[in-house]
Formats: sequence, C-alpha cells, structure tokens
Amino acid sequence: MIEKSKVKSQKSKVFIIFFCFSLFTFHFSLFTSLEAKVYIDINSPAFKKLPIAIQEFSGISGKEISDIIHGDLEFTGLFAHIDRAAYIENPSQPFNPRNWTPIGVEAVVKGSIKDGKDFTVTVSLYDVFEGKEILKKEYKTEKELIRPLSHAIANDIYKALTGETGIFRSRIAFVAEDEGGKGIYIMDWDGNRITKMGLKGNLVLSPRWSRDGTKLIYSAERNRQWGIYLLDFINMTERKVFSSKGTNMVGDFLPEGNDFILSSSKDGTPDLYIMNLKNNKIIKLTSSYGIEVSPTVSPDGKYIAFVSDRGGSPQIYVMRRDGSDVRRITFEGSYNTSPSWSLNGDRIIFAGRRGTNQIFTVKPDGTGLTQLTTHGNNEDPSFSPDGRYITFSSDRDGVKGIYIMRVNGESQKRITPKNLRAFGPRWSPN
Amino acid sequence: MKKISVVIILLAFGLILAGCPPRKIVQPEPQQQPIVAPQETREKAAEVKPEERITEQQIAKVETKEVETPKYIEERGVFEDIHFDFDKYDIRPDAKPALQTTASWLLKNTSAKILIEGHCDERGTNEYNLALGDRRAKAARDYLTALGVTSGRIEMISYGEERPLCKEQTEDCWAKNRRAHFVVLKEAGK
Repeated sequence: MIEKSKVKSQKSKVFIIFFCFSLFTFHFSLFTSLEAKVYIDINSPAFKKLPIAIQEFSGISGKEISDIIHGDLEFTGLFAHIDRAAYIENPSQPFNPRNWTPIGVEAVVKGSIKDGKDFTVTVSLYDVFEGKEILKKEYKTEKELIRPLSHAIANDIYKALTGETGIFRSRIAFVAEDEGGKGIYIMDWDGNRITKMGLKGNLVLSPRWSRDGTKLIYSAERNRQWGIYLLDFINMTERKVFSSKGTNMVGDFLPEGNDFILSSSKDGTPDLYIMNLKNNKIIKLTSSYGIEVSPTVSPDGKYIAFVSDRGGSPQIYVMRRDGSDVRRITFEGSYNTSPSWSLNGDRIIFAGRRGTNQIFTVKPDGTGLTQLTTHGNNEDPSFSPDGRYITFSSDRDGVKGIYIMRVNGESQKRITPKNLRAFGPRWSPN
Repeated sequence: MKKISVVIILLAFGLILAGCPPRKIVQPEPQQQPIVAPQETREKAAEVKPEERITEQQIAKVETKEVETPKYIEERGVFEDIHFDFDKYDIRPDAKPALQTTASWLLKNTSAKILIEGHCDERGTNEYNLALGDRRAKAARDYLTALGVTSGRIEMISYGEERPLCKEQTEDCWAKNRRAHFVVLKEAGK
C-alpha cells in the first residue's frame, strides 16, 4: 500500500494525511461518547439487571430517604439490589471501587443530609468499573417534602443510568368511598400521601388528567343528574362544564388541552361527543342505536379507542378523531371494556371478562393480545407516563383497592390501604 | 526527498494509529455521527448540576359547592321492579305485566311523576354498566310511553352497578340487581 502511495502525487498524500487525521478525531469522539455510557439499555429485551448499592445516607432521615430511593428503583425491575449487610465500605468512608468489585456492585449511591433552615441533601452516584463519580448534586427543600425530594433523587439516578426520564414524582388520581358518597383522591404513585380532595358526588367515576397534568376532568352524579366537572390545579377550583338529562361520562382530553371527549345519552342512546372548554361547543362523533362509552385518545390525537355494543356485545373499537373509519380491535371474549392508550401509542390496555374481569393489552391494530392478570376482578387499567407500569383496581384481596404492576404483569401490588374502598385510578402524565 | 520521507512517516504513523482498514474509508463520517448524537446522556454525565430546590404545588381541598337540594320526596315500593338478562336491555316478556300495572296507575293518577332507575349487576365494568343502566331505564320508559304515558312525566337515571339490592356473588343475587326500579316523585313542600 505504501509502495503505491509513493507514486501518487503530493496532493493525494496530503489528502490521505487529512483523511487519517479526520478518522483519528472520529475515533476520539467515539471515545468521549463511551464515557457517558448508558448503564442499562432498558429498551433491549436482553438487558441485564444493574447491581446497585444504595448506602444509608448520613444525617437525620438518612435511612428514610435511602429506603425511598431503594423502593423506587426496586419497582422498576431494572436493578439488582445488593444487601446492605454485604457492604465492605462504611457510609462515612470515601468511595473506593475496590470495596465494591468483590461483592459485584457496579453502581454506588452515597448521600449526606444537613438539617438547618433548609433541608439539604448531597448525593453522589459512582461507577465502580470506571472508578469515578458520574453524578453529584445538592437538593434543598423543606422537611415535609422528604418524599418528593427522595423521588427527585431517584429520578436523577434513573436518568443517569438509563438515559430515560423516571416517573417517581408522578401521582395517581382515583375515586374512594367517603362518608355518604364518593370522592376524588390523589396520592403518590407508590401509594403514599393519600390526599382527599373534598370533591364529592353520590357517584363519582374515574377522573382523567389533561396532558399537561394541570387539570382533572371527571363525572359525578349530584342531585340526580350526571354532570361533568373540571378540577383546575393551578387555581384549585372546581367547575361544572357539562350536564344534561341522561348519563354523561368523560372521556379523555385531546392533546390541545381545551377539547375533551365525553359519552352522553342526552339525545337518546349513549354517544361520543367532543366538547371545547373555551366555547362550550359540542360535536357529535358517533350515532348508533347502541352504547358508546369510555373513549381514550391516541397520543398523537388522531385516533379514538372506545367501547361499543354495536356488534351485540361490548367490544373495543378504534376510529379517526372525526368519527370516520371505525374498526373493531377485540375479537376474543364477549365483554371487553375500559380501554386506555399508552402514551407512546404502541398499546391499548383494557379490561376483558373471562369469567372474571382481567387486564389485557392489545396493539391498536388488534394484534398481540396479552393477558396480564389472573386473580380476582381487575378493572380500570391505565399506563404510567413512560408506559412501563400500569395502575388498575382489583377486588382480589376483598375490598376493592388500587394496584400497580410492571407492563409485563410482574410485581403486582396493592398501594391503597385494605379498608379503603377505592377504584378508577389514573396515572398523572408527569 | 526529505519532504517525501516525512510524508511517508506521517502517513505510516497515521495508518498504524488509526488502524484504518480500507473498508472503513467508505464509511463517511456524517453517517456515523447520528448513532452517537441522540444519546442525551452524553452531556448529562459530564455536566454536574450543582443544586436543585424541590418544591411542590400545594394541593388544597376544594369543597364541592353544589349542595344536594331534593326537589322531590321519593316514594318507593309502589311498583314492582322489572328484570333484565346479563348485558341486555330489551324488555323481557315476564316484565310486561309489571309495566302494564305501572302504566295503568300512571294513566289514572295523571298528576303523578315517576323516576325510573336503571341498575346492573356488579360483573361488568363501571362506565359500561352506567350506559347499560341508562339503556334499561330508557327501555322501560319507552314501554310506558307506548302504553300512553306522556314522556314528560318520566324521569330517568342510571346507577350502573353502584346501588345493588343484593350483595352476594351468586346468580340469584345478580339477577335481582339487573333491574329497572320505579319511584313515585312527589314535589317537596306539597
């Protein structure tokens, strides 16, 4: 090769030098990108659980904070937790990769707390293999916000290791039985900090979040009338947005935020409508002799999945947003209801009756039907914002309550107390 | 000559370092770049965010302003319930005598108003059951209007599966719960 180059003109030699030089820089740039590696490729089907050690944080509430972070990461199923009893390094000692390699740990979290006027937590995340710190951050907050603070830390660790946004600060809105009626409740995704909103009705149905998470829309029966109500979190007010004779039920928000879909029997049979919150205009989308309920909007806002009994039994259908191009997507079983679209659009989750009600997912084209639950009656399913988890209600332990699980059906657990009759959970979009 | 040897040395050096096999030459640089670019983490790891204040929007209690103001006094138990098959809202033949009795009472008591409640068993799902209860109440209403009762005298509401008569999980119990229930409404204060 060199022989050949010799006979080439000076010009081409310069070019080759330049070329090799550019290759050199390219290799170098590859090197820098490796430095910021993704520790767990969570989208790969063959990912390996990352062995992580979360040391007990030093200072007041240190154990509580490290336990919350541990709980968050544990539920993802992406991390292998190494038991604290096996740690060689003591929390007060500086990070030394040699203390972690023998016990198979690949990532270490350390933290310390300063309790003063502000509650300050300093957190470090270390890569054992490279022997260096990959995240260092200081968090300040008030003492009452220890849980959101811990979830924020877990989100940052999750982001640093997977490259994706965590859901640990998201919440779940649901309905529970109050004295004399039903009411809207909100809690953290892990079932902590259950807050009763004080919004009531004789009957209240599953609330739906706006896409920006600033509003909730829900249906309630008050004074023998089914009304649709809007809760605005910015100014903390409730407003009645629609009511008529008949049964009126939400629905879902369209991406624009001012339009939502509802099912109303105001004209006779339960049909689907789009309503605008600004001008109160209503457009009818379906008109069949049967029942049309439970609409859910695709993430791009172009399609609506809903339940109809037009074929003789309740089944899930998909149509365009203008009501055209209706096609059925469920064919197994004679009772399929409560669809909810995942935020990345690849799946629709629903409750199907197979003796008892169970949770299934299906692709929007009707293929890939997968059953996720088997015990008790399971209803009202919806996805977490990242599409990796599902919340639903179940009576498997007696009193109906709220549960969460991973998208593959693993780690099903109840997150509301055993004595609280609760249903209709919806995961917040952020 | 000196120049040429320097070039050769540099060239050899470059080849060794880069280890560039001729195959790589056809791989243009810009195509390689995007594989690396979308990794948002690239800058994240290097960048150290020193501080963040964790805040949260306070969730205040929003009391419902609407108060329950009953317009009517309800009188229950005057009429017999009618029953439906699972997931159905058509009037069964065995429900017709009860509906006829209700209709003739309404035709005699011309000032009376009634409320028809549509109910379902617990086996279905919430929202669908409310729609089903709505259809059941409407089926009963349509039967009464066909017998001559004016529709203005009939109010309807669906309670879905929320107000069961019978709470056991048996077929008998479910059959009792799949019903249309009739309530005589008397205006409050009269």
